[in-house]
Amino acid sequence: MTDFAKILQLLSDHGVEFIIIGGAAAIVHGSSRLTQDLDVVYRRSQENIARLSNAFQEQNPYLRGAPPGLPFQWSEATIRMRLNFTLQTNLGDLNLLGEMTGGGNYEDIVDHTFEIEVFGIRCLCLDLETLIHVKRAAGRPKDLETIAELEAIRETQHTQE
Amino acid sequence: MDHSRGLDPVIEAYKKDVDRTLIRKNLKLSYEERLQNLMQLQKFANGLQKAGGRKQ
Repeated sequence: MTDFAKILQLLSDHGVEFIIIGGAAAIVHGSSRLTQDLDVVYRRSQENIARLSNAFQEQNPYLRGAPPGLPFQWSEATIRMRLNFTLQTNLGDLNLLGEMTGGGNYEDIVDHTFEIEVFGIRCLCLDLETLIHVKRAAGRPKDLETIAELEAIRETQHTQE
Repeated sequence: MDHSRGLDPVIEAYKKDVDRTLIRKNLKLSYEERLQNLMQLQKFANGLQKAGGRKQ
């Protein structure tokens, strides 16, 4: 199980600039689809990479699905060398994206977010319109049902207004 | 970011099977309650997977 509360708390405590995207963002918007991991886009500034590295230092981050024993070290240098990380941690599965398909990087999407307060933490979540846009742009067959649900959520919101 | 895009017949076909009652129910919850429900669902799904693994 991914402990969303503790991961968000860690990110917040360390001052990491991030945006919730993907399945967790869909849940925030009202989706009922099961997702096992937390996807976030993080800002690729030098300071933020240092914060991100510190935040998960004690959570044993490792490349999810990779064979054990690889010389993978969670550090600022590692984060600088790669853009996106699919990780398993002590707190569950976490996908850290420097850039997302169809959306771009932190700076590209930050104007398409809204602030939410969950578990006593204020953080940014991708807005519904942009979430639909990036899911469509990704073009993955497995996202078709998700897109249909997100569009149904948008329609339901409009009828309730 | 340009969000303009026309209707996709495939998405429209999938939309017919979306449970809108569930959507309306979820929209009444707070953001935190929605994430808590997800974590409970994960726990339940993992429990089922483990139980299935023991049967094999």
